[in-house]
Amino acid sequence: MFLVTLAIGFLASCETVIDINSTNQDVPIVYCVLNSADSIQYVRIQKTYLTDQAALNNPPDQDSMLFSGQIVVTMERWSAGKVIETYNFTATNEIPKDSGFFPYQKNILYKAKIKVVANQIYRLYIYLGSKEKVLYAETSSLGRLNVIDPIPLQQRKISLYDGNNYTCRWDQVVNAGVYQVAVRLKYKETIDGVTKIKYLDWPQQFASPGSDVDYLSIDISGVRFMHILQDNLKSGNGLVREVIGVDFQIVSGSLEMKYYIESTSPSEGALMEKPVYGNINNGIGLFCSIARIDVKDLLLSSVTIDSMAYGQFTKNLGFLDHTLDRDSTNNL
Amino acid sequence: MKLTVMKKISVIWILAGLAFLVSCTDTPVTPGGGGGTPLAKIVGTLEIEFRVPGSFLGPSRVLRADISIAKDAESLYKGHFLETANVYNSKLMYQFDLAPGVYYYQAGIICVAEGDSCSAASFPGGKFGMKWAIGTVEVKQDATVHVIPQFTN
Repeated sequence: MFLVTLAIGFLASCETVIDINSTNQDVPIVYCVLNSADSIQYVRIQKTYLTDQAALNNPPDQDSMLFSGQIVVTMERWSAGKVIETYNFTATNEIPKDSGFFPYQKNILYKAKIKVVANQIYRLYIYLGSKEKVLYAETSSLGRLNVIDPIPLQQRKISLYDGNNYTCRWDQVVNAGVYQVAVRLKYKETIDGVTKIKYLDWPQQFASPGSDVDYLSIDISGVRFMHILQDNLKSGNGLVREVIGVDFQIVSGSLEMKYYIESTSPSEGALMEKPVYGNINNGIGLFCSIARIDVKDLLLSSVTIDSMAYGQFTKNLGFLDHTLDRDSTNNL
Repeated sequence: MKLTVMKKISVIWILAGLAFLVSCTDTPVTPGGGGGTPLAKIVGTLEIEFRVPGSFLGPSRVLRADISIAKDAESLYKGHFLETANVYNSKLMYQFDLAPGVYYYQAGIICVAEGDSCSAASFPGGKFGMKWAIGTVEVKQDATVHVIPQFTN
């Protein structure tokens, strides 16, 4: 009887509510992508957050994602084992953040005027006063990106239609681990007498550096281009579109960028949960570099424009042909 | 009892199904194709060897700019092309698969040199001036016809 009473008392004292969250460690999250095509560089600093409520229904407070207290951000450029330049970053909120689940009213970034020099080592230091902690990361800037095709020449028109692909070529870049080409179609769209200039961005698959090759290349499929238009543009009565041209964006990323992309891409093997790559000491995030070249304002060939106007995949999208007409007797 | 009846019914249905399948006749297959396979297009090949003529200008100052094919002279003049190739500095040969017949082609080169170099090399309008080579060619079935556009001065 005594043992039964004891057991009841013991069981009654158990808590059924378990606190599954430990105390938030406020782990710093840092992202910085040095862009050699820009003269201003930015660093984003935030922190991890925890909430006891259902996280999917309750976005965190703005302040719970940012560090308070003193934050000092500096960067050094090293060459031949010596510091050549030191840059101090200042806080700014000049770049708005897209609206969404997370708070976006206060988007604090740190910026500095830095023209990235090719083939140098850059070191990032961040002092967080509230945590009395120094974060550190290092990356190498890329060599010069030289694009072979396309060249910025409007007379050399781009043809992208069924049976006609475009080959984009560029030289290998020192320190680069990954490349990507994106095609941007620019067009005018008129609905109910209102005309707007619009863009359709079409990123190509990632390309990796090759060995013993003079140049790297990627084929941009003409028939795929037509399918991309079909899949991404809406058709509608009274909708008229006029092609302006295309831009090519060629980007090379450092090895850190390559590792990050690989670690965040969908798993194909048995290992379903891959750790996300990061190179920030005392924090998580990424410090890497890119080189980018835009070849802008190229024109599409008349055959391409006519294919967009009358081709089987895009004939309902309202594109005008190369004579700015919609003459159906001119069907391909 | 009920189960036995159900089993008998199942067996009858299975046998009927087998008899039905065995009695089916395969669709006769025509040797050598048919059966919904799309017909191969009747084409010939036009191969254009796009040489950039030499001049006192450096090789990177005169570039390939255009190769287009049209069905007749009027279409060529008006820019109603059947095919337009992507041209590159590094590519010499350009191929087009076309139905047999006579076609008009044009090849264009462009001068990108500074100053009055382009005018001196007879490119109209100076920098970004273009020269054109135009010609006709007959494409024959299952054959490759080779042309080299000729630029004058």
